[in-house]
Amino acid sequence: MDYHPLPQPDQIETRVKEDAMGAYFMMFATAAMGLPLPILNLVAAIIYYYVNRDKGRFVQFHTLQSLYSQIPVTLLNSGLVVWTIVNFARDLDFFGFYWGYLVMVATANLVYFIFSIVGAVKARKGVFYYFLFFGKLAYHQVYRIRPERDQSTFSNRPPRQ
Amino acid sequence: MKLTIQHQERYSRGELLLRTLFGWIYILIPHVFILMFVSLWGAILQFAAFWVILFTGRYPQSMFEFQVGLMKWSLRVNARMYNVSDGYPAFGINSTDENTDLVVPYPEKVNRGLMLIRLFFGIFYVYLPHMFILIFRAWFVGILTFLAWWIVLFTAKYPDFMFDWVTGQIRWQLRVSLYMMYMTDTYPPFTGDELPDEV
Repeated sequence: MDYHPLPQPDQIETRVKEDAMGAYFMMFATAAMGLPLPILNLVAAIIYYYVNRDKGRFVQFHTLQSLYSQIPVTLLNSGLVVWTIVNFARDLDFFGFYWGYLVMVATANLVYFIFSIVGAVKARKGVFYYFLFFGKLAYHQVYRIRPERDQSTFSNRPPRQ
Repeated sequence: MKLTIQHQERYSRGELLLRTLFGWIYILIPHVFILMFVSLWGAILQFAAFWVILFTGRYPQSMFEFQVGLMKWSLRVNARMYNVSDGYPAFGINSTDENTDLVVPYPEKVNRGLMLIRLFFGIFYVYLPHMFILIFRAWFVGILTFLAWWIVLFTAKYPDFMFDWVTGQIRWQLRVSLYMMYMTDTYPPFTGDELPDEV
């Protein structure tokens, strides 16, 4: 499979680097809104991706990597929020499994936070930084050279001469 | 920054009445409804911009332009609500308007120390003194807007000094917002007039 060539840091404009860096700060969306809804981070990451994806492959790669990595963290955080609300609503005890899950979610968030900060710093320098699994996935999706569509599949054609 | 609101030769009395009676339906509700969501996005970007500035000392240009676009949009709506502009305000961050304009120079560097001072103490040394004056000024501007409404209705002209007070109010509020959003390092002056370097 062929891939588009990667730009080097000195070939990327500062503005493009900043746009790529901004993607990683979507993890603060929930904090910015002041609402305990983890889904907001994911929504912000999706909006940021669609707003910025036309600004070049470098931006698209970082926004997509940020978006993909946001998904598992959002699911984990949402699970914790729902569990907590249900326990409070039904006046249930917070038994050991809950605390174990809480520690796991906190650890996942910490790891995600560190990776995102490193990703943001690298993006600001015009460097590619690949997250585990999501980095490869984003790179493959953004930089893969897609085969030309077979002309026979086109429905719309210019008028006959 | 340079804020311009075109002082029209003549104002439409029909539009004035239409805005007064139905403006909240056909201007305020649609614009405020969309602006509410766009402003939420603006708040997220502002939060992100804070961290970017903290690390790099630069306000990301795309985010900066978004915030300016958002301010322009609000300005277009405000100008109609204060009756200082005729016409329907355009929707959108990138839209332009023949009656209003806002130019905010992009700062290459933002002072990080000053940004933190603004974050922690801005309420004391920026908001408190400015808001104290702006609240009283707003009451006076409200009275002027009411008087101007009758003058426009009978003469189709907006008196100069009333127009200057209303635009001054908007300009002053915008300067405070720009400073508190780290979009300029210049402390907002205690005036709504255009500064010599803005003309």
